[in-house]
Amino acid sequence: MAPPPASAVADAMNAPAAPRDSQTNIDIMAVTKGFHWPWLIALIFAVSGVAMAFGALAYETYAGLGVAGYQAPVFWGVYIITFVFWIGIGHAGTLISAILFLFRAKWRNAINRGAETMTVFAVLTAALFPLIHIGRLWKFYFLLPYPNQRYLWVNFKSPLLWDVFAVNTYLTISVLFFIVGLIPDIAIARDRAVGWKKAVYTIVSAGWQGTGKQWKAHNRTILHLSGIATPLVLSVHSIVSWDFAMSIVPGWHATIFAPYFVAGAIFGGFAMVIVVMVPVRRIFRLEPYITDYHFENMARFILFTSLICGYAYGAEYFIAWYSGVEPEQTSFWQRAFGPYWVSTWCMIIFNVVMPQLLWIKKLRTNIPFLFVLCFFINLGMWFERYVIIITSLSREYIPAAWGLYIPSTVELMVLTGSFCWFSMFFLLFLKMFPIIAISEVKELEIHARDHAQGGGH
Amino acid sequence: MATLVSVYDMPSDVSTVVRKLKSRGFEDLTTYSPAPFEEIELAEDPKPSAVRLFTLIGGLAGVVTGFGIQIWMSMDWPIKIAGKNIAAIPPMWIIGFELTILFGGLLTVLGLAIFAGLYPRPLDEHYSPRFSAEEFGVVVRCEDRDVAEVESLMRGHNAKEVTLAASH
Repeated sequence: MAPPPASAVADAMNAPAAPRDSQTNIDIMAVTKGFHWPWLIALIFAVSGVAMAFGALAYETYAGLGVAGYQAPVFWGVYIITFVFWIGIGHAGTLISAILFLFRAKWRNAINRGAETMTVFAVLTAALFPLIHIGRLWKFYFLLPYPNQRYLWVNFKSPLLWDVFAVNTYLTISVLFFIVGLIPDIAIARDRAVGWKKAVYTIVSAGWQGTGKQWKAHNRTILHLSGIATPLVLSVHSIVSWDFAMSIVPGWHATIFAPYFVAGAIFGGFAMVIVVMVPVRRIFRLEPYITDYHFENMARFILFTSLICGYAYGAEYFIAWYSGVEPEQTSFWQRAFGPYWVSTWCMIIFNVVMPQLLWIKKLRTNIPFLFVLCFFINLGMWFERYVIIITSLSREYIPAAWGLYIPSTVELMVLTGSFCWFSMFFLLFLKMFPIIAISEVKELEIHARDHAQGGGH
Repeated sequence: MATLVSVYDMPSDVSTVVRKLKSRGFEDLTTYSPAPFEEIELAEDPKPSAVRLFTLIGGLAGVVTGFGIQIWMSMDWPIKIAGKNIAAIPPMWIIGFELTILFGGLLTVLGLAIFAGLYPRPLDEHYSPRFSAEEFGVVVRCEDRDVAEVESLMRGHNAKEVTLAASH
C-alpha cells in the first residue's frame, strides 16, 4: 500500500472542529427557533377561531342546513363563495413556483416557499367547503366514483364532478411540489437540530445529502412538476368557473368566465401573498431576503391582473347590454343597482379602482400601503364571488321566484373560521420548517460570489 | 482502495475538478453541494435524468385511466344526459387531462425517490453538515497508487482541504 501524502494527513489533523455555518441558514432557521410574542398571539386567535367554527359546524350538522341562511332561490351561499375564494388564493403559489420557474425569474426564490405554503393550506381550506356545503359531511364520498350496490356511477358530464377531480389533482400536485422543494431545506434543519427535532427532520429529509445525483433528479422533478402544474393551475380555476358558466343562469353563462376567473385568482393570490409575507418579514426580520424589490414585482403583477379583471367586469356588462337578452340585462342592472349594490361597488372599487394607484412607483414601493391595499383586494375578491353567485341566483328568469339572501351567523362563523384555519396551519409551519427556500437563495448568493471571483460562465 | 475527501468554496472549481478527474478515468466520485448548480450536474453526468421517463409513463397511464374509467362507467350504467352520447368524448377531456397531470406528477415524484435514493437511511460516511452550509465536497475513491495524482489535481483547483479518509 502506498503511503498517504503528508499534506492530506495534515489536513485531516487540522480540520476545523466546527466549520462556520452559512449566514443564510442561520437567519432563515432563526424563524423556527426562539419565542415570538406576535406569533403566539396570532396562533391563539387562530386556534380560537377554528374552535368557534367547529362549534358552528357541529351545530349546523346537528340542526341541518336550514341554519345556513339558504332561502329559495339561493342555495349556493357563503360556503361556495368561500370555496371559490380560497381556491383562487391557492393560485399564486403555483404561479410563483411553477410559471416563474419556467420563465427563470430568479426573484421568485425568496418568496416561492411562502407562496407554496399558502397554496397548500389555501387549497386544503377550500377543499373543506364543498363538504360543509353538502350538509351531511359523512356522505362526501358520493362525490367520488366508487363501486356501490346500486351500480350507479357519477355523472361525468357534470362540471361539479370535473371540479372534484380538478381540486383533488391540484391539492395533490401542490403538496408534491411543496414537499419536493422542501426536502433539501429539511436536510439543512436536520444537520443543525438536536434531540427529537433531529429525529423528525432525519425521517422527513429522507436521506437527502445534496449529492450531484440527488440534485440532478431533484431539478428534473421540479422542472417537470412546473411543466405540468402550469396548465393545471390554469385548468383548475377554469373548471371552477365552469361550475357556473356551464349553466344557463343569467350572469353565469359567459365564455369569458375561465380567463376572468384565472386572472382574478392570480390577482387575489398575489394580494394574499403580500398580506401574509409583510408581517412575516417584519416579525422575523427577514428584510435582507424578502426585499422591497420582491414586493414591487408582486405589485406589478397585481396591477396587471387588476386590469384584466377590470376588462372582464366591463366585458360582462357590455355583453349583457349588447346581447339584448332581457334576463341578462336585468341581472346586471340588479348587480349594480339592486339589493346587492354594496357588494358590487366594493368589488369594483377594491379590485379595479384602488389598484390603479400602483401605477405610482412611490406607492408601489410603500410596504404599509401595499399591505392595506392588498387587504382590501382580498375583501374585493370575496365580494366578487358574492356578486357572481348571489346576485345571479337571486334574480333568475321568473321575477315571482326572486328572493333575497342574507348570510346567517353560522355561515359567517364558518367563514371567519376558514381564515383562522388557514392562519393556524401557516403559523405552525413557520415554527417547524424554513419559510424561505434556503437552498434556492444560496444558489443565487454563491453564483454571484463565484462570478465576482471570475469563476463560472 | 483509498478515499479522498476534498472541500471547495466555489461551484466552478468543483465542476472543473470533476471534469478533470473523470477525463483521467476517476469515475467513482460523489459531489456534495448546498444548492443546485447545473455546471456540477453536467460535469458529473451530462446525460439527462431518467425521471423524465417516469413523467411520460405517468402521463400516459393517466390519460388512459382517465378516459378508460369514464367510458367504462358511462357504459356500465347508461343514462342519456343532455341529449349527448352515453359515452360522449368531449366532456371527458377534462377529467382525462386532470388524471394525466395527477399520474404524471405522482410518478415523477416516484422517479425522484428512486433516482435520488430518497428514503429514510443513514447518511454517507463522508457527508458533512458543512455541505449543507456553503461548502462543496468531492469524494473520490481510487487506487492507493493514484492518491498523489488525485490530491494534486484537487489542490490544483482550489481545494481548501483534502483529506485521506480511508486507505485499505
